[in-house]
Amino acid sequence: MNTLTFPQPPEWLKMARRLLRKRALFVLPALLLNSALLCAQSASSADSAQTIQMLLQRIDRLEARVAQLEAAQPSSSAPASTVAATTPASAPAVSSSTLGAVASDLTGPQQEMESEQPGSPEERMDVSKTLLRIRGFGDINFHGDTLKGDTTSFTLGQLNLFVTSDISEKFKFLSEIVFEGGPDNIYGVFRGENNAFAVDVERYLLQYSYNDYFNVSVGRFHTAIGYYNTAYHHSTWFQTATGRPFLFQFEDRGGILPIHTVGASVSGLIPSGALGLHYVAEVGNGRASRAPLVEEPVQNVIDDQNHKAFNLALFARPEAIRGLQAGFSVYRDLLAPVGSPRIGETILAAHAIYIRPNFEWLNEAMVVRHAPLGQSHVFQTPGFYTQISKRFGAYRPYFRYQYVNAAANEPIFPDVGRQQGPSAGIRFDASESVALKLQYDYTTIRNQQAINALAMQVGFTF
Amino acid sequence: MTRSIGRWLIIAVAATCLLGVSYRSARAGAPARDELNPSEQNLAIIVNTANPLDGLSMSELRKIFLGERSHWPNGRRITLVMMVPGQPERKALIREVCQMNESDFSRHFLHGLFTGEVFVSPKTLASPVGVRKFVFNVPGAIGYVRATDVDSSVKVLRVDGRLPDDKEYSLRIPPPAAQ
Repeated sequence: MNTLTFPQPPEWLKMARRLLRKRALFVLPALLLNSALLCAQSASSADSAQTIQMLLQRIDRLEARVAQLEAAQPSSSAPASTVAATTPASAPAVSSSTLGAVASDLTGPQQEMESEQPGSPEERMDVSKTLLRIRGFGDINFHGDTLKGDTTSFTLGQLNLFVTSDISEKFKFLSEIVFEGGPDNIYGVFRGENNAFAVDVERYLLQYSYNDYFNVSVGRFHTAIGYYNTAYHHSTWFQTATGRPFLFQFEDRGGILPIHTVGASVSGLIPSGALGLHYVAEVGNGRASRAPLVEEPVQNVIDDQNHKAFNLALFARPEAIRGLQAGFSVYRDLLAPVGSPRIGETILAAHAIYIRPNFEWLNEAMVVRHAPLGQSHVFQTPGFYTQISKRFGAYRPYFRYQYVNAAANEPIFPDVGRQQGPSAGIRFDASESVALKLQYDYTTIRNQQAINALAMQVGFTF
Repeated sequence: MTRSIGRWLIIAVAATCLLGVSYRSARAGAPARDELNPSEQNLAIIVNTANPLDGLSMSELRKIFLGERSHWPNGRRITLVMMVPGQPERKALIREVCQMNESDFSRHFLHGLFTGEVFVSPKTLASPVGVRKFVFNVPGAIGYVRATDVDSSVKVLRVDGRLPDDKEYSLRIPPPAAQ
């Protein structure tokens, strides 16, 4: 049999009632006594009666208030968490991105003290919020040159969505998703439509950071050959000039280096005191070498052979000269083009750069060696660039000279030949996030007429 | 008439001189702001009380606040706590420790995150109380507040062997006019 029961009033309500009754018991006689004395003293009985009446009315109002609170009892006995959630005013203004980190960091004895901190409830991770952070980079260009067949055009550059996520204290996800238009140029062979856009996942990395000396990344990354490749990635806004040097052009833009690698990378500091030595060791699929070469040059899914590419880089950032970085790298792979013997590929690179907020000087040199197995001849492709710039307020004039010289019968990139020439330009930072650049290039190419080019670019981050 | 004008001029000049002298002597006699409270304008580097470190060199501090060091010696990840842009404490830290301006600092961190060298971006909080609470709650946190805003919930690190109350402490917040 169901019985109808009323919820018991909370303890505090009972106490309030008791106090009210006690108060009435003590107050009323006192008032009566007081009023009697007043009557005796002043004989103003009418006033006393009025005062008593007012006090009685007040008691009535208080009792009504108690009844009202009793009626509201179910809603007022809400969980303590609701109460806690209503106290964010005194909590620290933690940005949303901090919430996950704070939650993961609250461990051990500190957690016990959490309840003493008014801000702590807000610092818990909110599972309804995404942990993704997205930063965008883009550029729009206006370009004209004297190369036969080229037209002066407005060009949409790469639209780069840089996505990161702090998965945990030790793990992080990082990717660059790039939308880019125009045909691919793979070793001089063009494919794709002129004006169609395509999407490339240029970086796709899971990073694990054990400490400053040992970090592991797996996925698709930029190969640590030299400096430029891992410093600027797919953002023109970060770069001083409108584009990358010849040497570091992307694989699908006529570049000669294995810019991207799919594999694993280990990096970190080497205990070396003020010398500031760092290392990077990478292993991956290497570049595609099997015909037809117009296919995707980065082996994202299937390697065309079991042999893996290796890269080792060492560099120093000495404390004595802040902004200086000098180092070298050695890359080794075995390419297997169809119809020809395997080719051993070795890329030796060295760099010395000096970057301060108002000044930069980049210098890199390398040689790409292709040694067909069973042949004594080794094809060497040397290249270098130097770039210098100085900031004057919002303006940064810059100069670059670059050179690359591949043999005409180079087995992997026969189209490159010898290219060299200066570039001069000026960058104007219109705001913290928008840069306007104007650049002139003069490029000489073996067996061709020199090319004059003028480019304007607006690069931005958002 | 001329004589009275001259007399008044002499009186005015004398009064001006007297006033000037008394003002200068009053200023010379009054203690400077620093003498009143040497730590008032100093910036304290604070960490969680569980952090075993007691001090850092300026060079180490710079590496930490530029994201070039991501872990404490005990293996715990460093969580940087910055105040929101525009706060004098933040300006002082960026200028004195990082040797940059606000724009360069932002760009540096964005670039570091972009290259992957900086593992996590700094947490940004609005007030010294918020910074203190965050550092109190997060064992790997490091932040900064005015020395006068420090309480027992956090630990103050020595910088180059000196505490904010020491004479030759190097991290100072300049008065607003100098910023």
